[in-house]
Amino acid sequence: MKKIDFTLNGKQTILDVEDNETLLHALREKLDIKSVKEGCSIGECGACTVLIDNEPHYSCLTLASKVSGHDVKTVEFLGDENLLHPLQEAFITYGAVQCGYCTPGMLLAAYSLLLKNEHPTDTDIKEAISGNLCRCTGYIQIVEAIRNAAGLCKCNS
Amino acid sequence: MVGSNRKRIDVIDKVLGKPVFAGDMKADRLLFAVVYRSPRPHAWIKSIDVSGALAQPGIVKVITGEDIPGKKRFGVIKKDQPCLAEGRVRYVGEPILLIVGETENAARKAMSSVKIHFEDIEAIRDPFTAEKSGTLIHEDGNLLGHRKVIKGNVERGFAESDVIVEHTYSTTWLDHGFMETEAGVGYLDDAGRIVVVSSTQNIHYKMKEISRVLGISEDMVRVIQSTTGGGFGGKLDVTVELFLALAVYYTKRPVMMRFTREESFVSNTKRHPLYIEYKTGAKKDGSIQAVKVTIIGDTGPYISYGETVCLRVAVHSTGPYEVPNVHADSRMFYTNNPVCGAMRGFGVPQLAFAHESQMDAVARILNMDPLDIRLKNGLRKGSSTATSQILHDSVGFIDTLKKIEPFWRERKKSSHTSGFGIGCMFYGCGNTAISNPAKCHLRLTEDGKIALHSGVCEIGQGSDTILWQILLETLKIDEKNVVLVRGDTDTSSDVGSTSASRQTYISGKAVYEAARKLNRYLDEKGYYRGRSLGDICEEAMTENNVIFDGYFDPPTTQLDKETSEGAPYATYAFATHMTEVEVDDKTGVCLVKRVHAAHDVGRAVNPRLVKGQVYGGVAMGIGLALMEEFIPGKSESLDNYYMPTSMDMPEIEVFIVEDEEPTGPFGAKGVGEPALIPQAASIINGIQDAVGVKPSQLPCHIERLKKLIEDKKSERRQEP
Repeated sequence: MKKIDFTLNGKQTILDVEDNETLLHALREKLDIKSVKEGCSIGECGACTVLIDNEPHYSCLTLASKVSGHDVKTVEFLGDENLLHPLQEAFITYGAVQCGYCTPGMLLAAYSLLLKNEHPTDTDIKEAISGNLCRCTGYIQIVEAIRNAAGLCKCNS
Repeated sequence: MVGSNRKRIDVIDKVLGKPVFAGDMKADRLLFAVVYRSPRPHAWIKSIDVSGALAQPGIVKVITGEDIPGKKRFGVIKKDQPCLAEGRVRYVGEPILLIVGETENAARKAMSSVKIHFEDIEAIRDPFTAEKSGTLIHEDGNLLGHRKVIKGNVERGFAESDVIVEHTYSTTWLDHGFMETEAGVGYLDDAGRIVVVSSTQNIHYKMKEISRVLGISEDMVRVIQSTTGGGFGGKLDVTVELFLALAVYYTKRPVMMRFTREESFVSNTKRHPLYIEYKTGAKKDGSIQAVKVTIIGDTGPYISYGETVCLRVAVHSTGPYEVPNVHADSRMFYTNNPVCGAMRGFGVPQLAFAHESQMDAVARILNMDPLDIRLKNGLRKGSSTATSQILHDSVGFIDTLKKIEPFWRERKKSSHTSGFGIGCMFYGCGNTAISNPAKCHLRLTEDGKIALHSGVCEIGQGSDTILWQILLETLKIDEKNVVLVRGDTDTSSDVGSTSASRQTYISGKAVYEAARKLNRYLDEKGYYRGRSLGDICEEAMTENNVIFDGYFDPPTTQLDKETSEGAPYATYAFATHMTEVEVDDKTGVCLVKRVHAAHDVGRAVNPRLVKGQVYGGVAMGIGLALMEEFIPGKSESLDNYYMPTSMDMPEIEVFIVEDEEPTGPFGAKGVGEPALIPQAASIINGIQDAVGVKPSQLPCHIERLKKLIEDKKSERRQEP
């Protein structure tokens, strides 16, 4: 057992975790963040993607103990009913969501890209989400949504 | 409203990460159940010793087949599959017993303490062995089903043909690969009824199975659909539901189940591997005279949807073409391989690979353009299908070809190893040659609204939004006045499964019918002359049974037992895909660069959702053509089962053809499966155009394609 101290969606969070506990498990079972999904548990599908210091990581392969002192973001960081993030707006407008299981991870991978690259090409976008599987959409409307959000979104602010 | 790109009604929650999938549910004193599965493909179970497992910390109950209080077998077509093994296992992954623990860890850990003594039986690993072997998987033999489609005189048709083309094709197992694995939660409600909340494509079917297996009446069971992370046919069969019901029955506590990805791979039904011998005869002018198809399928050890696939592939075997002489023979054999069931298209994507390869092969011999031969033979109004059904309405196939035509005529190879292929399809919407109705009802509520009660399972494709649009269009009412009550056997009538591209067409029509009745009622009560809905609802509360039912069952006929003559579907969807590929002739890598996809959907209730289906279908078609192959014992995780990523996707342009179907809601048909069906075929034809090899086996992955190209090169070298 180990005590970790990290920032989760902008809030300081202190948590006891097991030595071998994954970040996925800690977020879902101890902090009740169910938007972080488990799809394969071996780092192949990307449904469990979270941002650590604004970089996408598979939380199923990340030890919870390693995020002490770091900044962790889940989709809850992006927006809420009253104020959706432009990426979320674009996912709605361009039909980027079907079953919704990959959506939180997809949004986070996209957000991380737009932080680094305000005007990504389609190839940049496809590369940025290539670690996130989606079985429903064929990715086309996801890429469209991210491309169209790019102009509108000041992710840094 | 109908014809608009209305945003999905569930989408705001979904971009916020809020929907509660089954694995996200919580309950006090929640137990976790896991399934102990057979490691053997075919064996007698000589003994089961669970004492070690029961002695493990945190184990609450172990349930075997003997503990089942009611019927011990289930099945969507026939009740042939043991819920828990009955002294014998017939495939790797067959459930033997259920372990219920205080935590997931405890339950999984106890698995290693179960002791089972097996005595192996010869395992039947392919349908050809199944046909000949003396080892019987079931008492009445290894043949599950045999269906024929006979029209005209096929031998005369070949005799009158100028050219005959004959090839063999084969396909393999595929996994649905939904992102959310099978999951659910069961509990007892205050009235002591069994409630199961699960990720599913059909709540009423599962409610009935639970009632049978527990031996309790249907009104003591309630099934609720949780937000479902994809289905594609893989959540039609029972997955977690019966196990949850049994665990709740014995423990009286809430129980959760969630399959690991590996367990999902091993346990879930697969796409049927088919072996297809295909012979086509044509006149010099390109008119197809005769088609003879022999299909042999591997259905695994239990029926699931095997009979359905057996018939559907025979009925669709000629593709969207008018052929005067047809002989299709389709047989499904039991094996000790994975259970095969429903997967997007019910076998038709495999057949499309065959019939579209054949069309190109005939065109090549006749030196005809692939598009021209399809225009010449394509189904149109007045055409007769292989089952001699005359198509009167909504036959937009030629229009889909014409949408593609300008791009086809102007195509230019970008390199000497790039190529273009066409794939076409037709697909009957709804179940094959049986009644498959949907029901719904509308109700005026105490708080002045209209409630749509729907049993349709939304699995991501957008059916809730489609029903919503049909309702609002028919009622001419603002959506703030309407609520959707959905996905719960307590509050809805049976609508049948979310399968066979049937919900927009059939449930959509049921909603339309109910809305028309309510529309007349509202008109009588003065709503359209300015009276408030609240006022009308208040008055309705004083009347009895102000409920408006909707019902639709598409008109079909039974098929002749010998020839399958008849009208198996009330309507068909049609599509043409044109695909540009670029092949690296050294490595065998095939890139899919651009797709033009034209679909006759009757009427696009929501064009953006139609496009979403087509894009997703193209992705799955790329997987089918080039990368996806489930190999029992080998590709049982996402580490070695390859599904398309964003990097595999081409540019896609979708063209919607709207040849309205008179029996559909506002003319609509279905698109879910049609989106996928022609894609693999168009890629394979593109590969032939690019590098001159003819793939006969799917997937045509990098190694297979490389070998085909090398073999062709060495053939060339050997030529004098």
